Amino acid sequence: MRSPQQVATISSRISRVTAMLMLFLIATDVVAQTPEFEIEIREHLFYPSELRIPAGQKIKLIIRNLDATPEEFESYELNREKVIVGNSQGIVFIGPLKAGEYPFFGEFNPKTAQGKVIVE
Amino acid sequence: MTSAVIIVLREVLEAMLLMCMLMASSSAMGFRLRWLVPALVAGLSGAVIYALLLEEISMSFDGFGQEIINSLLLVMTALLLAAHNFFAVKCLVTPSRIAAHSHWVPMILVGAVAMGIAREGAEIYLYAYSYGLMAGDVTAVLSGGAIGAGIGFSLGTFIYYGLGTLPSARCLQFCCAIALIIGAGMMTQAALYLAQADILPAGEPLWDTSTLISESSLFGELLHAAIGYEASPTLTQIGLNIGAVLLSMIAMWLGYRSGFNRKENP
Repeated sequence: MRSPQQVATISSRISRVTAMLMLFLIATDVVAQTPEFEIEIREHLFYPSELRIPAGQKIKLIIRNLDATPEEFESYELNREKVIVGNSQGIVFIGPLKAGEYPFFGEFNPKTAQGKVIVE
Repeated sequence: MTSAVIIVLREVLEAMLLMCMLMASSSAMGFRLRWLVPALVAGLSGAVIYALLLEEISMSFDGFGQEIINSLLLVMTALLLAAHNFFAVKCLVTPSRIAAHSHWVPMILVGAVAMGIAREGAEIYLYAYSYGLMAGDVTAVLSGGAIGAGIGFSLGTFIYYGLGTLPSARCLQFCCAIALIIGAGMMTQAALYLAQADILPAGEPLWDTSTLISESSLFGELLHAAIGYEASPTLTQIGLNIGAVLLSMIAMWLGYRSGFNRKENP
């Protein structure tokens, strides 16, 4: 059996740890705000066609399709694929990635709609 | 036109492999292929509905409706494939195959094939509609699409009749192995969609074999369709892949036990 005093110390320790954990979670939430990047699709082309993002970090990529036709943002290297309906936008989370070049393309216009994410 | 060939072929390949393997398996189990009709009807109408609602689906779930629906379809198909393996093994160990028949089998086959066709077909419909019909480029898209679909269908026919020439027990063993691999590949793909939506953790890829077999090469595409090949998978993907393999093996073991018990006490 633990004495009431011991129980009190344990419970105060638990509440202290919980408080620290919550503070930590709030802090990381503020610090680790996922950086956002944007690309546009116009006339079946990506603008910019080269996107520079930081290494080792998850990013949020917003793809705006200004064409009336749908496009599929696709990349084997990034392991991503998402259909962006005409005149709309879509979000894709990317990474964390090692430094390097990761090509992507529009599946519906694979010859012209090409670009790459440069991780550095 | 070549883009149309490739786009359609890529989508048709996966659905055809799944459908033709299940057709061969159901024949080997002694079922008639009548289930194919509702599967095709549900799959094709599902594809059109999915494509028509894509805008609404994309906006739902904070903009991740596509990822949620796709991963749900993939996980459910993988579960149905595990259920298929249960019944296939049960049939395999029961001396009189008909005795092991269950009305669940055609339903499982309809579900798996319909979901496969709906998922892949939606993209074809979307492409053909907006780049063919709307752009007034019907001939190029249709002829390209027909060539792509033709290659896909011939490969499917080849698989169906190839598996069909085997003795039925051997055919069922092969189908179970293929179903296990396809199911695991689908779980890998589901993990990918969920990471894309930031629902599952992504993490850095564990390895990269894209210099050996690129996913964009024809062989890479075939491997992707057959075994869900990923050149640079993450830990989550591999974990779900192994989980699906284990699940399928447990289903097969349960099927073996349930079929075997039937043999002991008829």
